[in-house]
Amino acid sequence: MNKTKEFETLVLEAKELRKTILTMITGSHASHIASSYSIIEILVYLYEKVLKIDPHNPNKPDRDRFILSKGWGVAALYATLAQKGFFDKKLLETYCKDGSKLIGIATRNGIPGIEATTGSMGHGLPIGVGMALAAKLQELPYRVFVVVSDGECDEGSTWEAILQAGHHKLDNLTVIVDYNKWQSFGRVKEILDLEPFAKKWQAFKWSTAEINGHDLSELAGAFSTLPFEKGKPNVVIAHTIKGKGVSVLEDRNEWHYKTPTQAEIDIAWKELAE
Amino acid sequence: MRTAFLQTLLDIMHTDKNVITLTADMGFSVFEDMQKEFPKRFINTGVTEQSSIGIATGLALSGHIVYFYAQAPFATMRCFEQIRLDVSYNNVNVKIVGTASGFSSNQLGVSHFSLEDIALMRLLPNMTIFSPGDPLESEWATRTAYEIAGPVYIRLTKSGSPVIHESKLKQSFTLGKGIEITNGSDFTLLVSGSLLPMAKQIIDELAQKNLKGTLISLPVIKPIDNNIIIKKAKTTKYLFTLEEHSIIGGLGSAVAEILAESQSSVFFHRFGVSDKFTSITGSQPYLLDYNGLSAEKVGKSILNFIAK
Repeated sequence: MNKTKEFETLVLEAKELRKTILTMITGSHASHIASSYSIIEILVYLYEKVLKIDPHNPNKPDRDRFILSKGWGVAALYATLAQKGFFDKKLLETYCKDGSKLIGIATRNGIPGIEATTGSMGHGLPIGVGMALAAKLQELPYRVFVVVSDGECDEGSTWEAILQAGHHKLDNLTVIVDYNKWQSFGRVKEILDLEPFAKKWQAFKWSTAEINGHDLSELAGAFSTLPFEKGKPNVVIAHTIKGKGVSVLEDRNEWHYKTPTQAEIDIAWKELAE
Repeated sequence: MRTAFLQTLLDIMHTDKNVITLTADMGFSVFEDMQKEFPKRFINTGVTEQSSIGIATGLALSGHIVYFYAQAPFATMRCFEQIRLDVSYNNVNVKIVGTASGFSSNQLGVSHFSLEDIALMRLLPNMTIFSPGDPLESEWATRTAYEIAGPVYIRLTKSGSPVIHESKLKQSFTLGKGIEITNGSDFTLLVSGSLLPMAKQIIDELAQKNLKGTLISLPVIKPIDNNIIIKKAKTTKYLFTLEEHSIIGGLGSAVAEILAESQSSVFFHRFGVSDKFTSITGSQPYLLDYNGLSAEKVGKSILNFIAK
């Protein structure tokens, strides 16, 4: 398959995932649709092209670990895991409904493929650092991938872990920052500016890449060689659009909280069908 | 007590290569030998209690057994939310060791006192809590923590605590069982942790005044020995608890909860640190005495309660 064809397949998969998520979130009147949409291409690329995992043997000791530290975007992860065959797609219908194990924040409760309980901000990266350290100690070849939000980079525990990963030369660790420029109350720039962002990571002994997080060829470029530099952890600063993929949801923070109404749902289905 | 912990942990690390010791930059003059012997399995994570708990969890989720060592207030309170979600919820093999508990850091004041740690740890499901009172209990707690597949909190105090138990008794220590040290029918004194020597002194001094007390050490606060508490509430008329911890949430609270649901009519009183900050400095015995915790003051109170 040539590159263009290959990316076309991934683009279609991303669209299908957005539809699945729309059904899940509207079906249970849940929140965080925009948080889920901003990481779709990242998840598609990682799960299709990067992660060494076996959906039928999800606890294999030498599997790559994936942690969604921004655990509130978990609808996207559940949809991806079901798509990959970690569990039956029918389970997605229970998302956030009475008695379901598909909780609205990533929670390690027996769902195959969920490696860590996160979503309380600043938890995923320290756990990922522990897993990457364990791989080094046990001389296992697995790698650890952690998706963090920009808002999470306010947390002290995140920066503690960034300092530690650099110090311990964890080049088997890759962080992807979903840099959609929104945090809970407003614009990141206005609330607690992270810039110069890449330079901060570099100063903490990380190797950085900065890409458009929705562009599959840029994602392919970023993940083509890991580690970026021997002896340094990797960070991909992925510039994204919160709510990406549906015009009325894009770059508006209210979709961190609200469930789309029928009018928006109709627009979404129309645009996702194109 | 800390020496017994360290020696036992070294023994465990010798026999099990999956055991890792993590410290948040604590353990000067404690861990030097361990660092030399196990340069990879002794990890100083820097002054980072919050991420250290996450790292310990990541290591445990990858098959390791992790002992995390820091001063008690920072090992438990600074990173409580991480302990709750990462360690306790996931039920992982992380053993949190809080050193210098109570008033151990006697000259350093409120920031370094740890009088709330047991209360916080008791709140967490899956958590086993050890509060050893002498080197034998400390050794046993460190070893038993290793054998438990799940989260543990071990509360340590300064080095130099005297041995209270006869060493042959060590074999009979059992998780969830109190240790009866003396048997007397006039009252029961339940003690946990650092005040075990004081409790023994109280019992001995009251015996000279012809008041015979039962002394029970409870090195495990969770799961606590319900049976022995209920049994002693039935067989003695007076029941007391003694601890170097806030009277809220520690041993005294745990016993009160059991008694409240036991239809017992036993007279009950908690000796512990009252619900206020101690914002003075001084020796550890001075600070304890300031809070009413000396063999003399507690002994006198017990006498008064019984004489009434």
